[in-house]
Order: sequence, then C-alpha cells, then structure tokens
Amino acid sequence: MLGWLRHHKGVVPYLFLLPGGLWLIVFFVLPLLTTASVALQEGSLASGYRLTFNFGIFPEAIGRWDTQLLRSLQYGLIVTVLAMLIGYPMAYTIAFRGGRYKNILLLLVILPFFTSFIIRTISWKFILADQGFILGTLKEIGILDQGFRLLATPIAVISGITYNFLPFVVLPLYVALERIDPRLIEAATDLYASRFQAFLRVTLPLSISGVFAASLLSFIPAVGDYLNAELLGSRNETMIGNVIQRLFLVNRDYPEAAALSLILMAGILVSIFFYSRLLRGQELTI
Amino acid sequence: MNTMKARAGRSRVFAAVGVSMALVLGACGIGPGDSNDASPGATGGGGQPVGGGEPSGVLNFTNWPLYIDDDGEGNRPTIDQFEEETGIDVTYSEAIQDNSSFFGTIQPQLEAGRDPGHDIIVVTDWMIGNMIELGYLEQIDVERDIPNFGANAADKYKDRSYDPGNLYSVPWQSGITGIGYNPALVDEEITSLAQLFDPEFIQKYCGQIGMFSEMRDVISLALLYNGVTPEDATIEDVEAAQAILLEQAECVRGYYGNEYADDFANGSLAITMAWSGDVFQLQLDNPDLQFVVPDEGGILWTDNMAIPKGAEHPDDALAMMDFVYRPEIAAQVAEWVNYITPVPGAQEIVSQHADEAEADGDTETAEYLRAVAESPLVFPTDEMLSRLYSYKVLNEDEERQWAELFQRVTQG
Repeated sequence: MLGWLRHHKGVVPYLFLLPGGLWLIVFFVLPLLTTASVALQEGSLASGYRLTFNFGIFPEAIGRWDTQLLRSLQYGLIVTVLAMLIGYPMAYTIAFRGGRYKNILLLLVILPFFTSFIIRTISWKFILADQGFILGTLKEIGILDQGFRLLATPIAVISGITYNFLPFVVLPLYVALERIDPRLIEAATDLYASRFQAFLRVTLPLSISGVFAASLLSFIPAVGDYLNAELLGSRNETMIGNVIQRLFLVNRDYPEAAALSLILMAGILVSIFFYSRLLRGQELTI
Repeated sequence: MNTMKARAGRSRVFAAVGVSMALVLGACGIGPGDSNDASPGATGGGGQPVGGGEPSGVLNFTNWPLYIDDDGEGNRPTIDQFEEETGIDVTYSEAIQDNSSFFGTIQPQLEAGRDPGHDIIVVTDWMIGNMIELGYLEQIDVERDIPNFGANAADKYKDRSYDPGNLYSVPWQSGITGIGYNPALVDEEITSLAQLFDPEFIQKYCGQIGMFSEMRDVISLALLYNGVTPEDATIEDVEAAQAILLEQAECVRGYYGNEYADDFANGSLAITMAWSGDVFQLQLDNPDLQFVVPDEGGILWTDNMAIPKGAEHPDDALAMMDFVYRPEIAAQVAEWVNYITPVPGAQEIVSQHADEAEADGDTETAEYLRAVAESPLVFPTDEMLSRLYSYKVLNEDEERQWAELFQRVTQG
C-alpha cells in the first residue's frame, strides 16, 4: 500500500480529503437532498408521500410566511450589528490590553457555554419577568409603569439572541486581532497617524477576515434561531424557525417545513454573497 | 396546500423519475406506501393483540410531566410498588410535553417498524384515533390482560368513539379545559366564554389573557363561544372561530403549553384557558384562583395509555395497565395528580385516607385529601359533565385546514 502510494503521489491529497469528504456527504449532502426531496413531495402521513416535483410549494410558502422570513433576516442583521458593536471592543481589549489576563478573559467569554443554551435562555425569562427581581423592583419604586414589560417584545428577543451568540463573535475577532503585529500600529503612529487613523487604516483592515467570520457566525444561527422567540417573544416576534418547528412537529406538514428550510438557506446564502462583495471578497477564515 | 390521497408505492416514483435520481431522492423520502403495508393493524382488522405471555422484567413508561404520584424526594410510590410486586424494572420518563411534538419524535421509528423505545405512551384521545388509523399502536385484549379495567372503570370511560371497544388503549386520566381566573386581578366573576373572547370586555385585561398552543382546545372553545358544538364543526365554523381568535390575539399574552400554570400562579395572567387538574393544584398555594366550566361549555378530554407498534415489552406494559386500575392505586395517583380518574371507586378511598390521616393527627394531609375527594375539579359533578363536549376527531384534510388556520393565530 505504502509502496503503491510512493509511486502515485498525486493520490495522497485526495486520501487526506476522504474522511472530511465522507463526513460532508453523509451529514450535509444527504440531509440536504432529503430536505429537497421532502419539499417536493405531496401527500400525508396516512396515505404516504409521493414525489411530485411540486415546485409551486416555494412561492406558496414565501407568500404565506413572508412577514416571518423578513423579520428573521431583520433580527439577524440587528443581532449581528449589535454583537459586533459589543464584541469588537471586547476582543480588541483582550487582544491588545489583556496582558497576562488574556486566558482568563477568554475563559470568561466561553464560560456561559458551560451551561446549556436552553437553560440560559430560560434564565432570562425569569430575570426579565414582569414581576421579577429587576422589573418588579423598578415598578415598586415607581421608575417604571406597572404595565411595562420586556418579555414578549422584540427587545427581549433580539437581546436574547445577541447574548447567546456573542461568544461566536468575540472569538474569531480575537484570533484576527491577536495576529496583528503591534509594530505595524507603532509604525503608523510614527508616520503621524493619529491613534484613530491607525485603527481605521491598519488594525481594522487587518482584522477584516475576523469581522467577516464573526458576522457569519452570528448572522446564520441568529436568522435560524427559534428558541429565543419561543421563550422570550410572543406571536408578534415569531421567527421563521418557529414557523418551521411548528409546521414540522405540530402540524406535521413536512413538505412546507422542508420548503421553508430551503428558502431560509437560500436567503442566508444570498445575504452572505452580497455581504462578501461588500467586504471586497474577503475569504472566510476562522 | 395539496391533498394527495393516493397511496403511492415507491415503485411508481422510480418509473417516473429515472432510476438514479429516484435512488437518491426516494431513499430519503418520508416512507410512503411500503412500510404502511407492513403495519397489519392499520385499520383495526386482522391484527393479533399483544400480550398473553410472561413479562420480560423491563418496562419503559413514558408520560407527561407531573402526571403520576411523586413523594417530592424523587420516588414514585406507584412505580415503586409495581416494581416490588412484579419484579419488573420500570424506566419512567416524562418526555411528553405535547401530543404532536411527541408524535413527531417517535413517528420515524414507528414508520420504519423499529422499536420506538417506549412500551407505554400516554397521549390524548384524538391522537389515539390518529395512531390507530396509521397502524402505529399494538392491539390489546382488555378482557384477558386488563381485568381491572372491566371491573373498576366507569362506563363513560369505556368504549369511546376514538377507540371503540378499547382495542388499543385504556384511559390514564381525564381533564376539563375551561377558564381559570385570578380574582386579585379581575373585578368580576368570570362565568362565560365571552369574558375570554369579547374584544371589548378583554380590553381591560389586555396582555393578561392566556391561551393554549394546543389547536383543538383553543378552536373548540372559540367554536363553543360561537354556539357551535365542536364535534359538529364544519370548516366554515372553524374559519369563523379563527376570526374570533385573531381579534382576541392582540390582547393575548402568549399561547402556552404546560408552562401557562407558572404565569397564572405568578400573576402575569388574569384570565386564561386552563386545565382543571392544574388549577386544583395551584389552589393549594393560592386558594383564590378559580376554575370554571363556562356557561357555553367546556371540553372533557382523556389521555390514554397505549402500546406503540414494535414496543419490546408489551407484557410488562399490560401488567402496569392492569395495576393502575386497582382502586387503591387509582386513588393514590388521583391524590397526587388531581386530574379526573377513570376509576370512580377511588373517591371513596381518598375519603378513607383522609379519615385515616385525621385519626393519625395529621390534619394538614387530612385537609388536603378531603379537598381532593370533595373537589368538583377531581370528581366532577353531573351538572358539570353535562356541559362538557369532546374534541372532534379530525380526518387528515380537516386536520391540515384547522392547523393552517390556527397557525395564523399563534404565529401571526
């Protein structure tokens, strides 16, 4: 075997790709094809499903759930911007000012992951409860109106998603910023750039790959998220993930659920395409 | 949506699409025809009941949360007693939060004919009906294997329309869907569905109204408000009910599962749809909370024990079903669960337990047990029962239409 490989060196790279390739085929390509197949089937559980290539399901599904689709993209965008505004200064501070506390600070960023996503979100439900510790107290001392509430508002849902995906933003930004040679920034200031100019002309462009990775890692899961809307929102904050979840598990309308999943994927791909054009074709590096 | 009724064999797909494409796509499909053919119980005919053998010593019992006696220290006396008596090792899990979601999680195994990993499941009457139709339940022989059912269950819990002759299921507990309200937040007595649905009336309580996410419960109440008997509802009636619900939606705090009880207890909800047993339990902490069967009517539903197709330990499951129909066990469960037990003899025993506790000087327990035995929420009066209706058993088309109309209500 090894002898054979020595004479056919060209095969080696493909062999290296094999495990990853198989993984992708089994856990990505096949599920994707399944989803596509289900979307194009018609029928019901009792009578069985049949592949009818019913492409009309796509415009139908978009027409029915356009509000929720747009709302999801909108929430995803807001979350990404917020996470970036919070995460960039955090990553910057850890990378350039962290000193010997770097590792501890990074650990603190990851620490929430030691608890399950669901438990953390349910905790927010308690923290933000109408008569809970925070709102209840503020209402008691008269700062807030009795009817004020955060739960079941877009603020709660967007904050919840931002909170949940913030570490995904901080980590790639940190990696990108950490790689920057501080002497480049010194050189810029030596050449009479103000600190702000140095940031704008040197640090930011050098970290743009991190910005790209970080925004994808928050935007994609944020758009598809349903847990935050489910636990912290109401019918007016319903996201497309909630619709798909209900269609799939409650209504058992598998074709429409599958079609919406594909539409969501397509929507995300298109958004990313334009975004990467915006960042002048930066490559995705994590 | 479409209504394709034909039972399609995969072979036809192959012919239609060209083999290679179909190989990929067809193999990924949600198993049509072929595996249905492998479910002989499908329409009730021809299947052989399971059981009649020796228990294997293992039982996976899957139920809803807080639906069996629990001493608060992680022990479940009924389960423990059963294990002691029979030597069967019971794994009791509370994995069922919602009929449809749970069905969604076991459907692939049932369709593929694999062991679903549950020997007893507890699902609501209409879901029993659907699962029977799909051939997803094992047939049982109540006379041979569950003699206590025949001896101790009340007649009104036998031979119901969703499972005539109890060929597949026996009731676990029943309950009433009605209105709960919190007098601390509501100025008047609530007696009518108008006080849940009328847009003008609920303005006062806007944002403090709770509704369920269970389609049948919600639509049935809206139908009753419109004066329609749920079992006779046409699709036009349901459309009218949807209009009522959409009008109400702006004032609805949320469409809840079981967690409505938290918001009802903590004062976030003034008026809410409610299940009788929950309110009885909440009343123990807050005796002010009220439950009413509305003047227009409420819903009497029944959750049933059944053995899913392909379950590995049917004999153990049948032994458990028989066990819980002993009046003393039914009483023990009723004392904790506070829903409506199918065993009327339990009321007597709960009263006796109250007397015993009193004699022991344990007045707290005695008072509690007396409350259980005397509560119309646990042992409803005939007057209440006369105002209760059943869910409509939906065929597939109806279910799809209802679900579509209802999803608009909960998800905008």
